[in-house]
Amino acid sequence: MTLSDETAAATKIFFREAIIRALQEEMQADPKLTLLGQDIGAFGGSYREFDGLFDAFGAERVRDMPVAEAAMVGIGVGAAAAGMRTLVSITYMDFLMLALDPLVNYAAKLRFKTAGQLRAPVVVKTTAGAKGQGVAHSQCIEAWLMAVPGLKVVAPSTPADAYGLLKTALREEGPVVYIDHKRLFPTAGHVPVKAACIPFGQALHVRSGSDVTLVSFSYMMTPTLQAAERLNAQGVSCDVIDLRSLAPLDMATICTSVKKTGVMVTVEEGQLTCGVGSEISFRLREMLDGVKIARIGAVAAPVSSNRVLEAASLPDADKIVTCVLTLLNGKGG
Amino acid sequence: MIYQLQVPGPVPDVEEVRILEWHGEVGRAFEPGELVVELETHKAIVEVRASKISVLRDILCAEGDWQKIGAALALFSDEPDEPIPDDAEQLTAMLVDFEIT
Repeated sequence: MTLSDETAAATKIFFREAIIRALQEEMQADPKLTLLGQDIGAFGGSYREFDGLFDAFGAERVRDMPVAEAAMVGIGVGAAAAGMRTLVSITYMDFLMLALDPLVNYAAKLRFKTAGQLRAPVVVKTTAGAKGQGVAHSQCIEAWLMAVPGLKVVAPSTPADAYGLLKTALREEGPVVYIDHKRLFPTAGHVPVKAACIPFGQALHVRSGSDVTLVSFSYMMTPTLQAAERLNAQGVSCDVIDLRSLAPLDMATICTSVKKTGVMVTVEEGQLTCGVGSEISFRLREMLDGVKIARIGAVAAPVSSNRVLEAASLPDADKIVTCVLTLLNGKGG
Repeated sequence: MIYQLQVPGPVPDVEEVRILEWHGEVGRAFEPGELVVELETHKAIVEVRASKISVLRDILCAEGDWQKIGAALALFSDEPDEPIPDDAEQLTAMLVDFEIT
């Protein structure tokens, strides 16, 4: 899929408005869809991404919850298994750790445990990433979730993808973790006027180039595209892929690109050990021989609330440019 | 003197705003402190108020349009009939008070 296909007949809206639109449309279409979360009612959500839904659909379908993540996801999974459809908002992904048991042991396994008799159509919507909030409000643990059979994981980088992926998530038969990044909320972008879902497992080819394939997702697409622009000015042509969906992974799109470039660099904000880039790199090695690969991610330390240290620990355009040039000059790979 | 009203800033995290509502049509004179335009960010409203007596001469961004911080929104003048120069983009920035709510 290319970018131009997705920008025809579009209107520009804020990132949070793309989320609201997806929720509105799916709540209208499916009366069973109920939202659970902290401050999502009259308050409208920490990022105002639930604005107007409480007034439109009422307290029965937009339910404020206490600060009890395990209970929230447990209730959401149980209600979904009992025939409803739920979206549970976990404001910070760090606190999803408290709710992994109902999500991993119940929701993700339910279809397998019951030989397909029961399903848990639950979406856990959460927000990842560093933005000055320190060790326990900044983490990106999407790679942990990719390792859970039965769980789908998506992470948009634009309002259009937020809209299309969230709609798809809300039609899935099993559990989905839908991840926004805090730094995406101030952004705006074009979203198709016509209602449309974006299928899971389809990466977006956002920039064409011939020397190196850059693979990223979520907010890390911003420094990745900045790096691609700067590398282009230095004569290095970058093919850039936005994964959008982490589980399932679109290895076919990555493979097609790396067959052309022979070089791949993955960029993520989470940890490198057992990370998204590790998984992609190994799968690519299984598909292609003789490829140069490098991974970029956070340093192996908790994210500091000190802004200088926070920035120092995370990938940025400078680090991506340096990594690509080092790899192309024959070191690493 | 002719002035250019620009999207005021800095506003934390914000690069671009959406014009929510103009509080007056071309030709209206604003008193100091009067609300001129409301701008929308991803989570707040920026209220832009006149800091001195000035006349709205031309609206460059309609309601619903998007504009970057520091870019032009409208032209103002001290007197209602001062001619607008051709190089309006080079005009002095109008000083405004703004509040983020």
